[in-house]
Amino acid sequence: MDFLNPVINGFAVVLEPTNLLYCLVGVVIGMLIGVLPGLGPAATIAILLPLTYNVEPVTAIIMLAGIFYGAQYGGTITSVLLRLPGEASSVVTVFDGYQMAKQGRAGTALGLASIGSFIGGTAAIIGLTFLAPIVASFALDFGPPEYTALAMLGILLVATISSGSKAKALVAAALGLLLATVGRDIFTGESRFTFGSLQLADGIDFVPIAMGIFGLGEILYNLEERHRAAKAPSKVTNVWPSRQDLKQASGAIGRGSVLGFFLGILPGGGATIASMASYAMEKKRAKQPERFGKGAPEGVAGPETANNAAATSSFIPLLTLGIPANATMALMFGALLIQGVTPGPQLVEQNPELFWGVVNSMYIGNILLLIMSLPLVGIFVKILRVRAAILAPVTALITLLGAYTINNSMFDVTLVVVFGIIGYLMKKFGFEPGPLVLAFVLGELLESSMRRSLLVFGGDPLGFFGRPISATLLAVFVLVAVLPAIRGALTKRKPIAITAVTPEIKEKV
Amino acid sequence: MMHFPTRRTVLGAASALTLLALTACGNVAGGKADSAKYPSGPVNFTVGQAAGGSTDLIARALAEGASKSLGQPMPVVNKPGANGALATKEVAGKPADGQELVLLTASLITITPLAVSQDEAVNIDDLDIIAGLSQDDYVLVASTQSGFKTFDDVAGAGRNVTFGTTGVGTGSQLAQTVLFKQADVKGTDIPFDSGKPALTAVLGNQVELATIQLGEAMPQIEAGKVAPLLVFSEERNSFLQDTPTAKEAGYDVPVAQYRAVAAPKGTPADVKEKLLAAFQDTFKTEAYKEFNKKNLLTPKEISGEEVVAEWKEYAAKYKELVEKYDISLSGTK
Repeated sequence: MDFLNPVINGFAVVLEPTNLLYCLVGVVIGMLIGVLPGLGPAATIAILLPLTYNVEPVTAIIMLAGIFYGAQYGGTITSVLLRLPGEASSVVTVFDGYQMAKQGRAGTALGLASIGSFIGGTAAIIGLTFLAPIVASFALDFGPPEYTALAMLGILLVATISSGSKAKALVAAALGLLLATVGRDIFTGESRFTFGSLQLADGIDFVPIAMGIFGLGEILYNLEERHRAAKAPSKVTNVWPSRQDLKQASGAIGRGSVLGFFLGILPGGGATIASMASYAMEKKRAKQPERFGKGAPEGVAGPETANNAAATSSFIPLLTLGIPANATMALMFGALLIQGVTPGPQLVEQNPELFWGVVNSMYIGNILLLIMSLPLVGIFVKILRVRAAILAPVTALITLLGAYTINNSMFDVTLVVVFGIIGYLMKKFGFEPGPLVLAFVLGELLESSMRRSLLVFGGDPLGFFGRPISATLLAVFVLVAVLPAIRGALTKRKPIAITAVTPEIKEKV
Repeated sequence: MMHFPTRRTVLGAASALTLLALTACGNVAGGKADSAKYPSGPVNFTVGQAAGGSTDLIARALAEGASKSLGQPMPVVNKPGANGALATKEVAGKPADGQELVLLTASLITITPLAVSQDEAVNIDDLDIIAGLSQDDYVLVASTQSGFKTFDDVAGAGRNVTFGTTGVGTGSQLAQTVLFKQADVKGTDIPFDSGKPALTAVLGNQVELATIQLGEAMPQIEAGKVAPLLVFSEERNSFLQDTPTAKEAGYDVPVAQYRAVAAPKGTPADVKEKLLAAFQDTFKTEAYKEFNKKNLLTPKEISGEEVVAEWKEYAAKYKELVEKYDISLSGTK
């Protein structure tokens, strides 16, 4: 029972009134900023960092962690209601979530997302409690070649995600990949598409692209249809998803939890890939994949579960190895340093009460979030009843303010406007924004990982097959790419052909 | 001292809005400030790196102390981009009234110009240096699976080694490429975005070696997950007494990261004095000393003139080394 002692002591730490209070404060702030489009947990934590100087380290981290996973809950709300994904990991939620909201099922979408987030988050904490030291090394086995394979698999998923015209999706994805190349080449220092501007030296941030193309683009488009406001959904009272919805989504939630937990451990983009993988998996498993993109509850429940599970498991590399998995974790790393605690392999032994205090606070935090979010869903969906003439400018303003906070730069605000116009034009001419944004996110990962791998391999591409994980991932890639083609060829001989999925995969490989 | 949360948040939001307004109106706040009344409002401390990194933490520790001496808040504003060139150039263009400061890293002045085009580089003469801060040493670490215990093992390996750097035009890249040329070791330079991913790659043996800042490497060194081979400082680092310097091993490659506080060129002398006094007060506080120790930073609290002279010397030295060994930091060999 030696193992359980520090765990139980950790609960004693959490149940101290101060820590409980900070946990509550953290999740409330997190949820609120999650609702404000563009203002992400990283910017919030940076602003609130000075508040934590004078409290105990464990208390500080409990609060900051609460902000982080609280924001994952809140982020869903804008994705579903306003088509504004605040984080790369909630982009796929937009596809079906916003459609559900349009059909008057916003409450169901948000309710499912909350339940999924709770289950995913809690499952990941349980995983974190029992498996952290074992799975931590998983993060280290992922080198550049593995990320290359993962990114390629991700781009293949982009292909399956789109539901509209394949050629247009391809054009949008290509544009996304092109945008990912903007900035100083990290291998040679050469400036690419920066037009001599230092502002573009580090490339384009995800937030201006997502905010502009999804959010502002949508607002601009809606301005064309003046009377849309009158059609605001009225049946928004049923927050609690029906038994049938839950049944439909339960598998997605279960699979999302597992997928999110494992992919979240990977530094860099784990949560994004987890949510995409979950969406693609649900679509592939579905009996009628054509429902996706038109308001399928699994399309919300799966990815939302996965990104919350991933948000929680991304604490594993930080707390067990001292490796921050994303920008927010890097801030958390800084916050710990300020407190005089150095996150590293020895943290669990040297500071068990900190480690277990933080981990156990997440159980409490998740329960608090579930309790808060379900009744709040009813209030949030009322946003949709606000007249577009009021809602649109307010949303646009908050979006622009949020964009400013990323780098404290007016340039990003300008970018949101530019991408807003691009998003509007795309929508007008029937291009889906999803492939563009996701290809943008994965493009950078793919390029840098691939070039890094080739350097390691001395330029020999066969090296990818010499490593077990990358070889396996590439085998999966080939399988996923080729299988529908084979199946398509087989089914063609039979009278009933389900060719909906087949050609799209072939085209995009 | 507990701060009431909402006040800070409101302040943050308010200063963000003011900044927004100022930028939008094209710096209407220019003109001559009355330097006798300095500081006339919050002193903005811009950092060209993301929040949470070592440069940012130094700025925050310094601002915490200096704001007390100055009697005005000193908000830290992160404007990451182009290794910090963006933030530095922006502050250099602000009115020289001491209300705008920037945390300057030496590599931006001494090393980055070797890798980027002339107009993207920052010239130290465009700024007034208020005070030098500290020295952050680079350490060459090896993965445990590589079997390297000392640098002699690397030099005698007789094969191509892979080494991670923290990016193009960084001290990490310069130190390693010069060292390997001097030791006649064949190596493949693999750039990462920053120190943490490079360290992660060494931990997973994706690359055999990497040079990163000591503060980042230390927890892994202490845990025995990576082996420290060399430090690039001129003298042994007091936090890592047992690791030899590159100089002791017979190589001429003195590289470290230095940091200083800078203001726009032409800041009035009395304003600079007030700022310097505020920083010196901070240097003396236990909290700041403790911060340096915790973050493995060696204090190098020298005057602005000394900073300029030293950094220019390093810049010349690195240029000479790079030319001598025919090294191109931009990887287009």
